[in-house]
Amino acid sequence: MDDAGTTVKRLVQAVGVAVIAAVASAHVGSPDTYFRGKAGPYDVNVSIRPPGVVPGLADITVRVSDAAVRRVTVQPVFWQTSTGGAPRPDVAAPVRGEAGLYSAQLWLMRSGSYSVYVAVEGTAGSGTAVVPLNSLATRRFIMERGTGFMLAGLGLFLFFGLLSIVAAATRDASLEPGAQPDPRRVWRARFVTTGAAVFLALAVTGGKNWWDSEDESYRRGLARPLTAEAGTYMDGSRPVLRFTLTDSSWFGGRTTPLIPDHGKMIHLFVVRSPGLDAFAHMHPVRVDSANFETTLPPLPAGTYRVYADLVHASGFSRTNADTIEIPDLSLSSAVPSDADDGWRTPESVPVPGMLKSESMLKDRSIMRWENAGTALQAGKPASLVFSVRTAKDSVVELQPYMSMRGHAAVTRVDGSVFVHLHPMGTISMASQRSFLQRATGDTSVAAILAAASRYPDDTTHTLHDAAPGAVSFPYIFPEPGRYRIWVQVKRGGQILTGVFDADVAERQQK
Amino acid sequence: MGTATFTPASTALPGTSARAATVPWHLFGAVFGATSIVIGVIWDISWHMTIGRDSFWTPAHLAMYLGGLVAGVSSGWTVLQSTFAPPTSAHRQSSVQFWHFFHGPLGAWVCIWGTFAMLTSAPFDDWWHNAYGLDVEILSPPHSVLALGMIAVAFGALLLALGLQNRSSDEMRARYGAMFAYAGGILVVFVSVLTTEYADRGLMHSSIFYKVMCGVFPFVLVGLARASSLRWPATTIAAVYSAIMILMGWILPLFPAEPKLAPIYQNVTHMVPMDFPLLLVVPAFAIDIVMRRMSGRRNDWILAAALGVAFLATLAVAQWPFANFLQSTASQNRVFFTDNYYYAMPSQSHTVRRLFYPMGETTAGLLTGILLVAPVIAIASARAGLGWGKWMTRVRR
Repeated sequence: MDDAGTTVKRLVQAVGVAVIAAVASAHVGSPDTYFRGKAGPYDVNVSIRPPGVVPGLADITVRVSDAAVRRVTVQPVFWQTSTGGAPRPDVAAPVRGEAGLYSAQLWLMRSGSYSVYVAVEGTAGSGTAVVPLNSLATRRFIMERGTGFMLAGLGLFLFFGLLSIVAAATRDASLEPGAQPDPRRVWRARFVTTGAAVFLALAVTGGKNWWDSEDESYRRGLARPLTAEAGTYMDGSRPVLRFTLTDSSWFGGRTTPLIPDHGKMIHLFVVRSPGLDAFAHMHPVRVDSANFETTLPPLPAGTYRVYADLVHASGFSRTNADTIEIPDLSLSSAVPSDADDGWRTPESVPVPGMLKSESMLKDRSIMRWENAGTALQAGKPASLVFSVRTAKDSVVELQPYMSMRGHAAVTRVDGSVFVHLHPMGTISMASQRSFLQRATGDTSVAAILAAASRYPDDTTHTLHDAAPGAVSFPYIFPEPGRYRIWVQVKRGGQILTGVFDADVAERQQK
Repeated sequence: MGTATFTPASTALPGTSARAATVPWHLFGAVFGATSIVIGVIWDISWHMTIGRDSFWTPAHLAMYLGGLVAGVSSGWTVLQSTFAPPTSAHRQSSVQFWHFFHGPLGAWVCIWGTFAMLTSAPFDDWWHNAYGLDVEILSPPHSVLALGMIAVAFGALLLALGLQNRSSDEMRARYGAMFAYAGGILVVFVSVLTTEYADRGLMHSSIFYKVMCGVFPFVLVGLARASSLRWPATTIAAVYSAIMILMGWILPLFPAEPKLAPIYQNVTHMVPMDFPLLLVVPAFAIDIVMRRMSGRRNDWILAAALGVAFLATLAVAQWPFANFLQSTASQNRVFFTDNYYYAMPSQSHTVRRLFYPMGETTAGLLTGILLVAPVIAIASARAGLGWGKWMTRVRR
């Protein structure tokens, strides 16, 4: 009891509570959406680059491997209005010289949750994939020098041109044809023009203030996360990690409620920084309307980056980022509060960049990065393929892990990028599901059955990887640099975490 | 006045009796430009109410920029002609000087300025869209530059007609007078577009509507009427405004169109026009009568008081009951087109439910606004219009 008491004190002193840092939207530093899945009978790969401003134009590309495709259409659907309130789908144009690649632009008019209906028509019939997408203002645009000089020049020309018109109007305009202005008239014109200059300068100042206030209101409207806090404490001898939503819009009911993603209200990741040598993927459960708790796995002491993935009923997904201190608990083992929690501690994890293409797992099986040799490039679609074999090199049977064949977490070593990947890409399945349910708009049994046949079920997502014992994740690395990748699979009821490093080269100029 | 010398108009000044019956083509250029712009603006607003999605290359935008270019180029050409003409030539003698070198009619300079302002707004607006997102509002800083440019083109056309009207004395005077009134009508359309937010039919029983309308229209109508050579100038100008708005309101819905942006709250199948015009012809007619009756009076303040009160009284008498009609379903037809709902207008909105929205105004506030504040605004506006009109009566070049 005493021991537990001192531990509590130590924890309270060492940990305190950290306020969640400002990170917007789903994922950190990885704004593009990537989806791999089925549109009816067709395999599609969809990538969407959001505009960063609202309203704005997002670029979408759809890759369909099937040669029998006749037409690809895309349609952005706002969560509140569903398909009935969406414009007619746009036909995506085939990209010249790229067989099976189609591109289009999506007009996103509101901030919030959208889904993109990607419809493919061909000789094998037609099908639709629903790709959730967050529409957010995330960036400010600074005027380039050239544009600035050009506009300033034109502005000065207009300013002095208008004054010259005022001067000509007061001096010459009311003269009978052929007459010359007398000195009195010339002076009067100068006087009036000076007055006009003062007036015009005031008008320009007013315009500047207007611009500034528009800029200010735009900046206020930039996406920000829900504020939240993370911290740890001891509940008796059980170390607890607590996640608390503190945002006024949450308490004011101005956001839609949270919905579970893969059956979990929150997916919480912790990564020891700067070594990236300890990692855990946990699923805190709801204690009350704002608090979520989970048992802390036996992680070594240190500073940890925390990332919490949340999905709202509107389909809006977001990642909150934070940093916490975990004190030395000297725990050798702990019973996780959720059977799907998985972690990896430092033993046998070398410094970033030293990891080979194989990673030994907890149960002595070996996870291999099948295409580790493939060069990775920022901005270019990549498929990361992993397989698990026994020490004797026989293929193992993977169990569905939260209805997926595997989960991956990818972070840039400096922490500027963090993303939670599935075999179907970067999207949240719960977002997709919420759109599918809303789109049906009919609760009759017939409608539900029809919808179920129209859209792929969860289980199909686990079947993307044909090879047994293998799992693959499509992703586009947003920035060049060194990344660490944790791949999690389930085997024999255990969650196994492999760890790999990747070097991503500079974006290639088109 | 400050006329030092006067050269007899023996060298055939354009617009004088010596060369009767030929309207200079740069005036046609400017008037065509103003017409193309005003059609483009109303079309563009309709485009945003119906389709939503646009690019620089929509027909409405092209109409606007075509108008700006035609007016600017024809004005630029006449400026070059005047500048390089001999100093005794008619072109030169009816010009104002610019930057100690260039010569040209005042209206041409205003048109050229307007064209440059419109051209400046294009890259500015493009940057604005990249920085702050696509348009969700009519008035943004770049759009204000565009609006100033478009109004300048219309005003330049008006000044070109005015100078010619003021220095002709024969049958051409009536012709230029008609062109002046037409350009004046276009100017009234621009003013109505800029104040359209306050001219919503749901506000026509609120004092804000009367205050804003009294702020802008007495100025424009009285000023133009004073400078016009027509018998019923304000009425004619208001009729031009009404005709443009009504024609666009009848023609646009003939074209099928559908929204291309989500969210969509209204089932839109055809181009949605702007609102039916205000009954400005009624107060404009009152302005004409007052100006005729009191034309002998010297004091512009007394005249302004009569004009301001007459404008407000007749506007209220005409528009207040007409607003009831516009809000009723009886006006939901091809003629009055009050089913012109913007595609993203929520069904529970006042507009769609056809309700007046008093915005918290009490009866006392309404009466104070209409009986005390609006008259003061109308009188001040009319007085400013008289001053502007007086200057315009003197424009010769």
